[in-house]
Amino acid sequence: MRWLRIAALLVVFGFLVGAAVWTRPFGAPQAMEMDEHFIERSQEEAAANNVVTAVLFDYRGFDTLGEATVLFAAVVGVALVLRRWAR
Amino acid sequence: MTALAILQVLLLVLLVVCGVLAVRLKDLLGSVIALAAGSLLLSLQFFLLQAPDVAIAEAGIGAALTTALFVLAIRKTRRKEEE
Amino acid sequence: MSVVVRTVTRLLLPAVVMFGAYVVMHGHLTPGGGFQGGAVIASAVALVVVAFGARRIRRHKETLSVLEDVGALAFVVLAFLGIGGTFFYNSLAGTGGLFGQEVAMGANPGALNTGGMLPLMNWAVGLKVLAGLGSIVLLMGLLGGDDDR
Repeated sequence: MRWLRIAALLVVFGFLVGAAVWTRPFGAPQAMEMDEHFIERSQEEAAANNVVTAVLFDYRGFDTLGEATVLFAAVVGVALVLRRWAR
Repeated sequence: MTALAILQVLLLVLLVVCGVLAVRLKDLLGSVIALAAGSLLLSLQFFLLQAPDVAIAEAGIGAALTTALFVLAIRKTRRKEEE
Repeated sequence: MSVVVRTVTRLLLPAVVMFGAYVVMHGHLTPGGGFQGGAVIASAVALVVVAFGARRIRRHKETLSVLEDVGALAFVVLAFLGIGGTFFYNSLAGTGGLFGQEVAMGANPGALNTGGMLPLMNWAVGLKVLAGLGSIVLLMGLLGGDDDR
């Protein structure tokens, strides 16, 4: 049983190392059209030098809204569970 | 192999060491400290990979806030892990 | 906590809050933004809770709750302000008013008065994240009896 576990660990480890080595080269994505669009036009469309912020709050604003909703749900859940004991 | 690559591999090895320590330690406070150190190393790795946004978020959430939560939880329960 | 932790907290607290406010305010120019800066300021709240005990700042629980609601509402209202174009349309960019300065094209350090809606949204999200994570840590600290040791 012990050897089985070690063998399973080795198989998973080898699979991960192989995936890291043989997949796409690091920093070379397959499709770059959207990247080029964001990098070229975020300064005139979103008026921001930081492209990451332009994507986060302008182009993909709904993602940020969902993130804020998740955080709000977490806080409401913690406050509901702990309201009796945390006084 | 450049110096940057060697530094990155060293950071990842230290990260694995921190993870093993966080699992193996019986003193839960030490385990939490190992987890925070691993989070800080991960944030440094993110910075070296030119993702400073993720680095700031990881340092703020992983190394500060979760450590504070774990320390508060340990303070309210027990410090030693039971067998 | 011991006197060492308390003294270091007193020394470190203004620097941490200042860095978080800087990250939030310059979110449209430098790395970081509302979420990261809010998390940094919330870590200052966590520092106070761990070092001094949650009882010391228990009266600010309602304040944090109100701040969270204000941040969330401000974010949604700012998103609705651009409804003439689309939801989340950047209606302040390039108008010359608040945060409406024209952006110089190409690689440049940038000016603080640019960005349109983005700095306001950064402030809203920063306020929301600060209040949310801070109130979670504060509630966890208030749990149970007074066990400051």
